[in-house]
Order: sequence, then structure tokens, then C-alpha cells
Amino acid sequence: MVKKILLLALLLSAESAWAETTPPIGEDGFKNPLERLEFNPGLDQHVFEQSSFQALDVYDPWESINRRIYHFNYRFDEWVFIPVVDGYRWITPDFVESGVSNFFANIGDISNLANSLLQLKGKRSMDITARLLLNTTIGVLGVWDPATKMGIPKQREDFGQTLGYYGVPAGPYLMLPILGPSTLRDGTGLVADFEGLATLDFLDFFAFSFDSPQLEVSTLWAIDTRSTVNFRYGQLNSPFEYEKIRYFYTEARKLQINE
Amino acid sequence: MSLTRRLAALVCGLTLSAPLWAADVDIESYGYPITNPFEATIATTPPDLRPSLPDDSDIDQSDYKILLHPEREYELPDNLWAVTKMKYRLAEQDGEAPLIFIIAGTGAQYSSSTPEYLKKLFYGAGYHVIQLSSPTSYDFMASASRHATPGLSEDDADDLYRAMQAVRAQHPDLKVSDYYLTGYSLGALNAAFVSKLDEQRRSFNFKRVLLLNPPVNLYTSISNLNKLVQTKVEGINTNSNFFDLILGKLSRYFEQKGYIDMNEAMLYEFQMSKEHLTDEQMAMLIGTVFRFSSSDIAYTSDLLNRRGLITPPGTVIKSNTDMTPYLRRALQCDFDCYMREQLIPMWRARYDGGSLDQLVNKVSLYALEDYLKNSPKIAVMHNADDIILGPGDLGFLRRTMGDRLTVYPLGGHCGNLNYRVNSDAMLEFFRG
Repeated sequence: MVKKILLLALLLSAESAWAETTPPIGEDGFKNPLERLEFNPGLDQHVFEQSSFQALDVYDPWESINRRIYHFNYRFDEWVFIPVVDGYRWITPDFVESGVSNFFANIGDISNLANSLLQLKGKRSMDITARLLLNTTIGVLGVWDPATKMGIPKQREDFGQTLGYYGVPAGPYLMLPILGPSTLRDGTGLVADFEGLATLDFLDFFAFSFDSPQLEVSTLWAIDTRSTVNFRYGQLNSPFEYEKIRYFYTEARKLQINE
Repeated sequence: MSLTRRLAALVCGLTLSAPLWAADVDIESYGYPITNPFEATIATTPPDLRPSLPDDSDIDQSDYKILLHPEREYELPDNLWAVTKMKYRLAEQDGEAPLIFIIAGTGAQYSSSTPEYLKKLFYGAGYHVIQLSSPTSYDFMASASRHATPGLSEDDADDLYRAMQAVRAQHPDLKVSDYYLTGYSLGALNAAFVSKLDEQRRSFNFKRVLLLNPPVNLYTSISNLNKLVQTKVEGINTNSNFFDLILGKLSRYFEQKGYIDMNEAMLYEFQMSKEHLTDEQMAMLIGTVFRFSSSDIAYTSDLLNRRGLITPPGTVIKSNTDMTPYLRRALQCDFDCYMREQLIPMWRARYDGGSLDQLVNKVSLYALEDYLKNSPKIAVMHNADDIILGPGDLGFLRRTMGDRLTVYPLGGHCGNLNYRVNSDAMLEFFRG
């Protein structure tokens, strides 16, 4: 009898020692995945609340007007912008769409290069220069993107990032009409990038599309930009989407500036 | 042979043969590469092991809106203007084809990634596809749900069924040969109750119904998910919170990589790098997503029913109202709190409900045991390491479904839905 009890005890202890590494598989084949986790003690369970409360803490003094613009953008997107983008996609063949995208992206590489230089990023500046040369020549004014196929992917740098790189704080959160989430710093950067592009006027693009009455080109630019951005208002599917976009935007910008 | 021996033999026979009835896929021949259930849940299948799917541009699809509750246009506050009508997505084939409804999982919208994936899979196989939001999604609660208090499975199925009928009526020219139904996660539980309801109402006469990773005991699933945010994660203190920790890892990962590249393979590669997340961190990430859904449910249900728990009665909410105080309050309410404060009181007031245990039995798959046993058209696919199951749940499924249950050895919660072996099995099941 004593032997039996000893044996049983031995078996039990062996089993529990084994259980620490892999959770026991149940009779029905269930692997008990939660068994392998370590949990906080009962009185110390506030990580989620603490973390999410901190995430809500974004400097947003213009919140009231920002929220109105958010709702305006949402409606504009739903009623105007997205239907137009869908129509554009439906009408144009895929290769034309990608050609248009590539063309605008190639012009955008000018400001990517300028900002990359301003941040003294040598390797990246070389990459973007190579992209510009390849895509403008072999890619016929940027309509094709042979550089990406050759292993030089597109890398974005804007003036907001450059400012951030030199330690300029983001400033108040700003919801721009139609353009979407931004901050005072990044909004300023946007204007600077645009002015820079217009001054340099690579491929005579600006003279063609903004000074002369070629409104079609700038409209096409707007449509192409919207169609290449995957975000849709309502996509986060939450009554608190404004707060969530605000948090994601600020964190994404931090990531972009750090890298 | 004595009676006890015969009984013993019977019991042995049952326990030994029971696992054999279900189709158990063995781990060697299965070939799914992710053995960690949390990682599988987050990263799903590596891209080259996924089935080939049609491009979005090759799918004839549109989003539609339908006004199911006209009064909501006047009742809902300004901040919910976008969800007064129910939205859904329809992908149409040319000419006559079978139609499949897809019900999304907990808190998920019709357009979220899993319904999108399932749409592509079935559309590529020649089905018309309709994607519906989960009854726990705030857009469905605001636009399609009668009581806006999800969790009573029969009521949720009723709301879904009305929505499906209205959707069908909005496309009288769509030529449909047969109707099929599927759902994943909570959507699979919904699908089971919808199928049961269809036996009485007969609007669709579903030919086949597939439940992908359903919760068996709803309360076990909720408790599991609630528990995930309580895991012990190193390096969190008053100065650095959990999100900072994850973002810091991402930032270092991109720095090493040299550029930011967000794509399908990224999560998988990230887990291979030295910045990879621990089990506890991944668990907390999954738990966090569930907690955010729970607070959306608690907020929306309270607001629509004017319970005054989160939004004080009489509050006027305009499009520029600062919502942060309400979000703070909602974030403190997990699913347990929602059940305690809103679901059970509503159930007691409206249906003369009883205890928590009674509720759990009524809303879980247990309530459909006989129906599931006797309905050859319904099948279940599940994973042995699914994090929403508890001990005994697979046993219940084995007893109830018999050979109509397929148990995969890996995949976590829904992580292997886009694995080629699984997608083939799904299409095969519907092909009949």
C-alpha cells in the first residue's frame, strides 16, 4: 500500500515537473495554450488601463475644431473622394494607374532626396539618387519603376521628419481638411515640401500643372494620392476612431523619424 | 460478463474510439510552420503557404447600405452619424451562382481582414459572397440590432437573420442557386444559431454551414481573452507602458532593417528577428485588441439603451464633443463588466432570465447540442491549441459533431484559416 502511494506521488511529481515546460494535453487533445503563460498577481492587474490611459494623452489643444474636420473629412471621403477614386480605378486599365502612380512618386522622390540630404543620411541619399536616375531614364520620366525591381525600394522622407530629426517637437495635433491627421510641425513641413518642389520644378511638372490651366493634372494627382493611401475613415470600426487615429498617427511619425 | 465489466468495456470503447470519430490532422503531415499558438493568432500563415487568391481588381464588388431601423437616424447622437445604416459588402459573379454569407468575429466589421480573405477564397471558387459585420461590432449594434445588447445568441441570430433577409431583398436580380453560411470565431457561434433559426423561417434553406474556430462555452472564451491582458510582461513601469514597449521593438527592428516596410510577411519576419515578442507580450497584444472591442461594445450598448453607466443621461453629444472622458470610462469596463452591468440585467428584465450559469448555457454551443448532432449539413473546424477554448470543449465538439469535426494540431485562434491545407478543406466541404 505504502509502495503504491509512493509510486503515485512519484508519478504526480514527474507529471508536474513536465507540465512546467509543455502544458499537459487533455484527453480530448486540447493543448491548453494559456497554461504556459505567466500572470500578474491579482492585485497588480492594471497594465492595460494604465497603458491605454497614457496613450490617450496626446497634446491636442485644438480638439474641438479638429473633431469637426475629422467628421468633415469622413463625409467628404464617403460622398466624394472614394466614389471618384473608385470610378477612376474602374475606368483606367491597371497599367495606366500604376504608370500614373509611378510618375507622381518619381517627382516625390525629389523631396525625399532633399530631406534625406538635410538629415545627412548618406546611404539613403545615394539610394534615392539612384532611383531618380534609373526611373527617370530607363523608366521613361518615372512612368515605370525599374529601381524597385532592382532592389532599391522607395523610402519616404519629408520636411516634417527632417524637423523632427533635429529635435523640433511635434506641436499640437492638427486634423487637416481633406489631407487628414497631422501636427503643427508636419503641416508646416508639408507646405515647405510643396514649395520646394514647386521651386525646383523637376520635369517642368509644376509649371505644367499649376500655372497653366491644366487643372486635370493636379486633380489626377489628388486622386492618385488618395487611391494609393489604403486608409478609409470608419476602418478602425470604433466610436472612438478619432482618438485611435490620433494615437496611431503620432506613434507612426515617431517611428518614421527614428528610422 | 457482469454488468460492471460490460459498462467498463463500454466506457473504454467510447473513450478510445471517440477521438477517432473526428478527423484529427496529425502534426507531421499537416506542415503548418508556426508552433506557437499566440504567434499563429497574430501573424497567421507565412505568405508563400497561403492559397492563391483573386486580386481585388478582378472582383466585381461594392459596399451597400441599408436602413433597417429608420428611427435610429434621429436617435443616434452626431458622433454616430456614419453608422445609422447597416453597411455590408457584396461580391457578385456573372450569372447564377451559389451565395455564401460570411459573419465576422468579435467586434469585427464586414470589411476587416479575415472576412476579406474568406471573400476572396470563396469568390475565386465561384460563389457570390456577402460579408456582414459581427453583432458585437459597433456599426451593427447601431444600425441593425434591435436591443443593441449583443451576447444573447438567439437575439443576435435574429438580428442577423433580418439583416440577411433585407440584404437579399436589396438585390432581386442576383441569381442564386443555393445558400451557404460560414463564420469564424464568435461569428461561427452566430452562424450556428442563424442556421437553427433558418430551420424555422426557411428563407434561405442553407445547404451547408461551416463553423470556423467557434467558442464552445462563451464564458470560457471571454474569460480566457480577458485574462490575456493580465500576463506578466517585463519592462513595464510608470514611465514606459505596454504600447511603448511594442513600438520600441518595432522601431529597433526597422532601424536594423534600414527602412520601414509594412506588409504581410512583416509580422512573420519580425518574430524571427531578435526583437521578437515573448508569449506574454503576444498574449497581451491579443488581449488588448479584445479589451478595446469590449469597451466599444460597453459604450455603444450603454449609449443606445440610455443606461447611464458610461454616458450620463441627457448628455448631448455633438460632432466636436470631447469623447475622451467616455472612452476612459469605457476602457475600465471589460467584457465581464459588460455582462454584469448590461447584458444580464437586460436579459432578466426582458426575458425573465436567471443566473450567470443559465445564461452561459443558453448562449453557448451547448444550447444547440441536439441540433448540431442531428444536422449533417453543419461542420466544425477547430485547432487543438486555440486560445479561446477551455478543457473539455474539444471533447464536447467530438461527442456532438462526430466525424463532422476536423481538429488541426496547430494554428492558435484562426491563424491557420489562410493556410492552403485549411482553405482546400473549406472549399471541399462546401463543394459537398
